Parts: sequence; C-alpha cells; structure tokens
Amino acid sequence: MFVFRLPRSARACAAAAACALLATAAPAQTVPAGRLLASNCFQCHGTNGKGPGFDRLAGKSASDIYHELIEFRDGKQGPGIMARHALGYSDAQLREIAAYFATQR
Amino acid sequence: MDRRQLLRAVAGAAAGFSPLLALADDDRKTRRKSGSSTPQALPAPTSPKARVIVLGGGMGGTTLAKYLRMWGDAVDVTLVDRNPSYTSCIMSSLVLTGQRSMSSLAFGYDNLRTRYGVRTVFGEVVAIDPVACRVTLQGGTVLQGDRLVLAPGIAFDEVPGLTQPDAMPHAWKAGPQTSLLARQLAAMPTNGVAVLTIPAVPYRCPPGPYERACLIADWLRLRKPQARLIVLDANPDFVTEKDNFSRAFFDLHGRVIEYRTNVIIDSVDPTSRTLFTNGGAVRGDVVNLIPRQRAPQLLADAGLLNATGGRFAAVDVLSYASTAAPSTHVIGDASATTQPKAGHIANQEAKVCADALARLFAGGSPDPAPVTNSACYSTITMSKASWLHALYQYDAASASMKPVAAGSGASVGWNGNHFEDMGTWFTALMADTFA
Repeated sequence: MFVFRLPRSARACAAAAACALLATAAPAQTVPAGRLLASNCFQCHGTNGKGPGFDRLAGKSASDIYHELIEFRDGKQGPGIMARHALGYSDAQLREIAAYFATQR
Repeated sequence: MDRRQLLRAVAGAAAGFSPLLALADDDRKTRRKSGSSTPQALPAPTSPKARVIVLGGGMGGTTLAKYLRMWGDAVDVTLVDRNPSYTSCIMSSLVLTGQRSMSSLAFGYDNLRTRYGVRTVFGEVVAIDPVACRVTLQGGTVLQGDRLVLAPGIAFDEVPGLTQPDAMPHAWKAGPQTSLLARQLAAMPTNGVAVLTIPAVPYRCPPGPYERACLIADWLRLRKPQARLIVLDANPDFVTEKDNFSRAFFDLHGRVIEYRTNVIIDSVDPTSRTLFTNGGAVRGDVVNLIPRQRAPQLLADAGLLNATGGRFAAVDVLSYASTAAPSTHVIGDASATTQPKAGHIANQEAKVCADALARLFAGGSPDPAPVTNSACYSTITMSKASWLHALYQYDAASASMKPVAAGSGASVGWNGNHFEDMGTWFTALMADTFA
C-alpha cells in the first residue's frame, strides 16, 4: 500500500491553500454577521455606528448595547422612537445587532 | 468626472472594464472638472468583477452606490444623474417658512467619488434596456453594466389645464419650485387664501403634505393672521399619523385650516388660480398643487411598470430585482412595495439591494430575511414636531415586507425635543447617504 506523505512544511502550505480556496469559494460566509440587520441603525447613528447623529454605537460592548436595547424595548426609557424601533426586532436580532457594533472600532 | 478620468474610463472601455461604451463629442466638451484632489480612500477597481449602473442620485441611488462600493468585492459603480447636486426634499417645507435655506439642502457627490471610488456621470438618460443592462444618455453616450439599479424617484400626472406649472407649484421635488412657493406665500395678501392639495395614495412621503399644511398654518397665524389654508385631500381621511394630524388640523390650527376630503381635481385654470373639483370650484391666492404620482416614463417605456395600475415597478424585495427584468433592480419611490415612499426607508432599501448584489456577485444568494425601517419627524408647528416609525420584516408567505405592529406607531403629541431630534436625524441620515 502506497502512503503519500508530505513534509510537515508542505502540509501547512496545502492547508493554507485549502483555506484560501475555501474563502473564495464560500463568499457568503465572508459577509460579517449582522451587518445588513445593523445597518438599520446607521441612518440615525452613522455608517457603522460611527456618527454623526445620535449616540455613537461603534466599539461599545455587545452586552451594553443589548441591554440598552432591552431597556428601550421594555419601555424603561419611556415611549420614545427607540422603544418602537426595538419592539420591531426579535430577541435574536437584537443580540445580532449588538454583536455587530461591538466589532466596529 | 474630469476629462482625465473620462479618458481613463474610455481606455477601460476598450479593455472591457468600464461601463462607458461610447461617448459623444459634445458630452466630452461640456464635462466639468470635479474640483476635488482628495486621494481616493476606496479607489474604483482596476479589474472589476462586476459593473453596476445606478440611475438617480437621490436618497436610494446614492446610498446604493456608496454601500455597493463598501460591501461589494471589486464592483465598479457608475452613478448617473441629470444634476451634479442633490436638493433634499426632507426638511424642504421649512424653506417655505424661511427657517431653512435652499443651500442647506444641497448635497454633492464628491464624497462618493473620493471616498468610495464611485464614477459619476451627469446627463439626461433617454433610454433604458433593462434586459441588456444598457443605458443611453442624451448625446449618444451608452453605459453598459452587468446590473442596473434604478432609483429615479417620482414623476407627476399631468393636470388638465395646468399650462403654466409655476402658477400652481407642487414643490414636491425640492428645487426651484420650493423657492417659488416660498416667495408666493410671502407675497400673499394678509387676508389671502392658500390652497394645498394632497394626491391619492401612493405618493412620496405620506405625512409630508400634512406636516407642510401644519407648518404653513403656524406661519400664517404669525405673519398673516387673517389668512386661511384650504387643504384638499383626494383621500377619504388622513393617510397616516391620524391622531396627531387631526388634533393639529382641527384644534391647534382649526382657525386657519379648512380640511376637505375625497376631493378630485378635474382641471385647473392657472390664470385665475382656480381648481375645478368634484365639490365645486376652489380659488386660491397661492395654490400648492401636488399632483398624483408615478414612476418616470423611462421606466414605463422599458416595460418595468407592472404594478399599482401601471404606475410603479413590482420587485422582489429580497434584492429589489424587477419582476419584469431580473437583472434590473428598482429601489425607492419608483418601486411598488408595502413600504412607504420616503427617503429614510429608500436608504434602507438601497442597503438591502447593495447587500444582495454583493452576495450575488460573489456567487451567493440574497439575505433571506431582510429588515427595513422607516422613521421621520413631522413639523406640527414652526418649533414642535412629532415622530413616526415603522419596522418591516420579510414575510416569506407573502414574499413581502410586513410591518411589525409593535414596532410601528407615532409619538403621542408633539414637542420641542422632537423638533430638535429632527435636526439630528437629518444630519445623520444625510451623512449615511452622502458622506
């Protein structure tokens, strides 16, 4: 039985090449999670949450943003426009939005 | 686009990269320098993987161009508009009361070019081939893309008898008519009658005519206390935000505004500024006539207006692809969806379209569950505003954007804080679109 063995360095190269191939072959996975969903916030908080506009969201922690959204949704900040906005999303969507802004710097 | 860029584009065309197929001599001579030497932060791709031609540099088209360059991988984007500068319809009613200047509503395309590498072409489009994705400009220039995105906004129905449009300005596309209407209102007799007409749905910016009426009424109260404002609504009732607008019309501005519903305008006489309606003749010293709306004729000629009785374009809201020609996408006011025709949501429709195109060009499929939102502020007085919000989730069963009931509604009343927030919202929205 013939066993083909690559030297260690060559195996690493092959793995890297496979990864690179995978990256180009599976483009849908390169779209950052939550980007399109979170872009609903950009009109008022700036592109990628970086202003100008209402509170800057870029770079805040996901848990801070999520908990603020929950406070809005539950009416703890009053019956403002953000309460309405937060009520439109599912809990999973609010988490996804919060996670996206945490990745922005 | 300056001459040097243009020549580069023509050279690229020979190599098959640029959307510019042919350029007429007269266009070349009249092309102006862009006047900007800022280095490009995101230069146009030298070897594009796809070419997109965008028609219309308003809220939808400009957002689409910006986000397709940000999110797409080496997508060549050309934005075409007849004007080198955009005048915002949002906030434009404040020009009528002297609270805003026209220049504060002007937005250019330098950022699109220098920050995002979008090519711009200014000219009049004379034909669209939505299957071949080809656009012909006046003068003979032909632009060829792999996809077209149409964001042309609205056109108006002809009003029988309206031979002098400036005698009864719509001021519903911000521009010269906005300033004209402001001058006409300022020159109106102190005991004069102004008339504002509201067209049948669907029209651009559902709360817009009501907020304009409130604003004019508040201004008349201060400046011309004997004057009246007659509002002729083609619809049976307030189209939106009924609680706030009915309180404003009947209580707050009740001494100024006279509100009539189900009014059909049959014809007009511009000389005497008279409207002939199903309820009799109505004469005004100033007439703000906002006609019924549809997508522009170019889209009808291209066979794209297959919804709303031939007025607007049916689209698949996962990508805004036309149902008549799937390589051509229609966003904003010209498309027929469950969403309102307004700038804030046109910006979001553009992001959904840009994301879908980026995924499609990379061999994927559009996001199967897009979300959009509409948010705006309405002036109830010259210093107080209300807000209106709606959030839409994709509904697979009906293949449409469905408003979420809990996420949709208006403020209870109006106040100065909302008026202040309106300014912040406008700054943010315009920056997300143009900067």
